[in-house]
Amino acid sequence: MKRYFAVLLGILTAIGGFVDIGDLVTNAQVGARLGMSLVWVVVLGVVGICVFAEMSGRIAAVSHRATFDLVRERLGPGMGLLNLVGSMLVTMLTFIAEIGGVALALQLVSSLHHLLIVPFVAVAVWIVLWRAKFSAIENVLGLMGLALIAFAVALWQLGPDWGELVSGLSPAEKPGAESWATYAFFGVALFGAAMTPYEVFFFSSGGVEERWTSKDLGVMRANVFIGFPLGGLLSVAIAGCAATLFLPQGIAVETLGQVGLPVAVALGKVGLAVVVLGFFAATFGAACETGLSTGYSLAQYFGFPWGKFVRPKEAAGFHIILLVTTVIAAGVLLTGVDPIMVTEISVVFSAVALPLTYFPILVVANDPDYLGEHVNGRLANALGVFYLVVLTVAALAAIPLMVVTSMGQG
Amino acid sequence: MGSLAEREGYDVGLHLLDRQIIGSDDRLIGKVDDVELLLDDDGSLVPTALLVGLPALLPRFGRHLGARLSGAHRLVRAAAADQALPLVVGFDIVDDVSSEVRLSEPAYGLLHRMSHERAQDPRRCRVGSLLGTPVRCDALPRRSKVLDLRLVGAPGQPGEHRVTALLVGPGRPGALFGYDRSSEPGPAVVAAVIQWLHRHARVVELGPGVDVDHEAGEVRIGPEASLEPLRG
Repeated sequence: MKRYFAVLLGILTAIGGFVDIGDLVTNAQVGARLGMSLVWVVVLGVVGICVFAEMSGRIAAVSHRATFDLVRERLGPGMGLLNLVGSMLVTMLTFIAEIGGVALALQLVSSLHHLLIVPFVAVAVWIVLWRAKFSAIENVLGLMGLALIAFAVALWQLGPDWGELVSGLSPAEKPGAESWATYAFFGVALFGAAMTPYEVFFFSSGGVEERWTSKDLGVMRANVFIGFPLGGLLSVAIAGCAATLFLPQGIAVETLGQVGLPVAVALGKVGLAVVVLGFFAATFGAACETGLSTGYSLAQYFGFPWGKFVRPKEAAGFHIILLVTTVIAAGVLLTGVDPIMVTEISVVFSAVALPLTYFPILVVANDPDYLGEHVNGRLANALGVFYLVVLTVAALAAIPLMVVTSMGQG
Repeated sequence: MGSLAEREGYDVGLHLLDRQIIGSDDRLIGKVDDVELLLDDDGSLVPTALLVGLPALLPRFGRHLGARLSGAHRLVRAAAADQALPLVVGFDIVDDVSSEVRLSEPAYGLLHRMSHERAQDPRRCRVGSLLGTPVRCDALPRRSKVLDLRLVGAPGQPGEHRVTALLVGPGRPGALFGYDRSSEPGPAVVAAVIQWLHRHARVVELGPGVDVDHEAGEVRIGPEASLEPLRG
């Protein structure tokens, strides 16, 4: 019974924890401008993150190595440092965006300007990172994040023409007003948001934190293969809501309030309250995950003790990094930069950083020295190689598309 | 997971560098930032210590960037005489080399600074400086370098760890990603690409005809040394 409960809890937190500010904003923007014609990219991204999260989780369970250990062990110090700098920039941008997202969510209920809320959010995030237990962070915020299911309910209540919505899934249904370059730009952004590297840093480091062994492989796979796709469905529901409400009116999504508006329209005040709770949990949870990921990456690259499974005193360097990154994130937000714009930039740059993170995972997942009998099978390898090609194309295309489309404005 | 050292020897660059060092009390000590080798008079190469810390790591970033980073690191505390010296873990307390390096002693207070005399000993060199050293050999392409060092030796057994062979060829040290070692490397596409890129790489046993000249910064391989393909 306890075992089933653990599996269920894992799946539920994986669903609730899957969506972060990048998914919220990008899916709503894409739904409003391009309808359902990019849902296939969400599917592609979700399958991709499942493939690599399972590999990194398996490596963490069997050999107790987190992802950034592997990055340095396989790429060496030089390429590893390049990856470290790239991923730190992306994770830092995401961390800033998530803290900004929490502040924006609280602005929706308090009507205070989000800049006034940012310092309090930053302090709260730091206290949680310092004091709270790893499992508590994951479970409480993951379960609260399930409130985002309100988007699925809202989509049903909005009563779209389902036939039209489904036929809109084809890329050929791209609205004529948008160019193919814009379409490709948002495709890359959605892909970057779904496969953002901090997810595997956090997932694998979490596996080491929770002391997974090869006995936990089943639970880990259930979390990944059931939880992540259901989380992906929430992403699609967000896009569907925006496509139903905003696309016919030609309204662009520019604020977090607009992302939640379809729920308010469909479900009224209660729906809005639920979805704001969902925003808060999703962004706060992801702020903790990205904050921890900056500490994990640096500590694993340089080789000093890390994690919440040792006492803060024993991982002083790790906790100093967490404190410094939180202060930097709050500082950047206090300059008045728009968190939504930071989010847009972070998902594009995460697409650039993808190959250097996922390549070493694929190589080590085939190495019997790490995994013994648990090395990749044919399917995992075929998918891994396929995604390596897709990741490389997305990484190369990201910056040119960003320039050509002026961040999707053109 | 069996110990690498027990199975068929191991490669310094692939299996030892950048791995975690764990004490007998299960505590993380650090990463293997570099490995110190002793060049014996008879031409043999014996690993003597694992080096830890930025003074060991930074020189590995290449001749130009590495020198600049090391210089910058010295300036952080220019008054300290030992700022440029790495921390040392003696190779005699290495208990096992698997996907981590496990020591026979607890972590607490284990690391100590390398002495100045030891740092200046001409018979000692670092793996990081040996990898990428140009190789002069008529049978190999001109751009060939030392790609990795192959070691034998099982901890706690008679005989010590020593370098038995060099992996040489054109390319970048570390870019083989272990695809020269395992018999059924996957994914097949990645393995094929990496093996094709390293099709000129060879293994050469240390012995007659192989001269590791650390001072001149090159390795000379004469016609009497035998060059074997990577696998087989």
